[in-house]
Amino acid sequence: MQPVLEWQAGTVTAIRPETKQTKSFTFALPKWMAHRPGQHYDVRLTAPDGYRTERSYSIASPPERVGELDLTVELIPDGEVSPYLHDVLMLGDQLELRGPIGGYFVWDVAIGGPLLLVGGGSGVVPLMAMLRHRAAQHATLPARLLCSSRTADDVIYRDELDGLARGDPAFEVFYTFTREPPAGWTGYRRRIDGAMLGEVIKPFGKRARVYVCGPTLLVEAVANALVQMELPIEQIRTERFGPTGA
Amino acid sequence: MDNDEGDMNSALMVDGNAVAGQLEQIFGRDMTMTVARCAGCARDAEMGALLAFIRGPGVVLRCPACQNAIARIVETPTAIYLEARGAAYLRMVPQE
Repeated sequence: MQPVLEWQAGTVTAIRPETKQTKSFTFALPKWMAHRPGQHYDVRLTAPDGYRTERSYSIASPPERVGELDLTVELIPDGEVSPYLHDVLMLGDQLELRGPIGGYFVWDVAIGGPLLLVGGGSGVVPLMAMLRHRAAQHATLPARLLCSSRTADDVIYRDELDGLARGDPAFEVFYTFTREPPAGWTGYRRRIDGAMLGEVIKPFGKRARVYVCGPTLLVEAVANALVQMELPIEQIRTERFGPTGA
Repeated sequence: MDNDEGDMNSALMVDGNAVAGQLEQIFGRDMTMTVARCAGCARDAEMGALLAFIRGPGVVLRCPACQNAIARIVETPTAIYLEARGAAYLRMVPQE
């Protein structure tokens, strides 16, 4: 039996801005347990009057990092939880967390590849946990990431992704910019569509294991395109973030 | 991808992964890989892949094939209500 899911107080040990809208928070957990890449934690806030609210945030760090974990959180300006995390939470503060949660949208090297990851906006966060895990395991299975962002400034983990791709011939990253590509950009500059997916998935063919995470409409579009390509449905895993992230 | 298309209801939709913590609290185990058979169209889907509407007072889980309401979950200050007549069954594989 797995242990019962319970709330615990995580202590903030690092806060790192990733983009203008996203920050990564490192939490040390007294009852840390190894997660599977793709899982999330629930965060609970309690107001002085007893009002409580919860949100789910994907784990960005790999399970190889013992005792602590990173959650990367997108700021939703009119949200209930993310503005507190972004603007109020400080180093040394404690926060109620429970997890790791989920068994559907998970991948580890035992599941294998070839691996195609498709992320929109902050949907890249759980995919990053998969890529960091793959790197920590020195896995050589082929992997590709297709990452959709509005502008170059909105790409989370850009330097790390580019570094991974430079140092690993089995991993490639593809960016597409939907609003404003950087000057001189010769790559994709549109929303992900069937033609783009077909190009990125080509070397993997129908053997690809695909994980898609992002806003609901992106996930729907990608999943439908993959089904039209006759990729076996059991090789496709999706996670919808809703309109603006969890 | 931008979010300025599609109707509001589908834009607010997430999936069963988003309520995995709540389900695990109720059932005492991960439920996202549990298969639910839709009582409406008999399609099987992992609970993590059900369509989830979570912005209301409760949670509604719907069949990804026919949109039939598989389950509804409402938490009150004193109890949790789980109504699941839209599911023909849930298939849970024993865990180690």
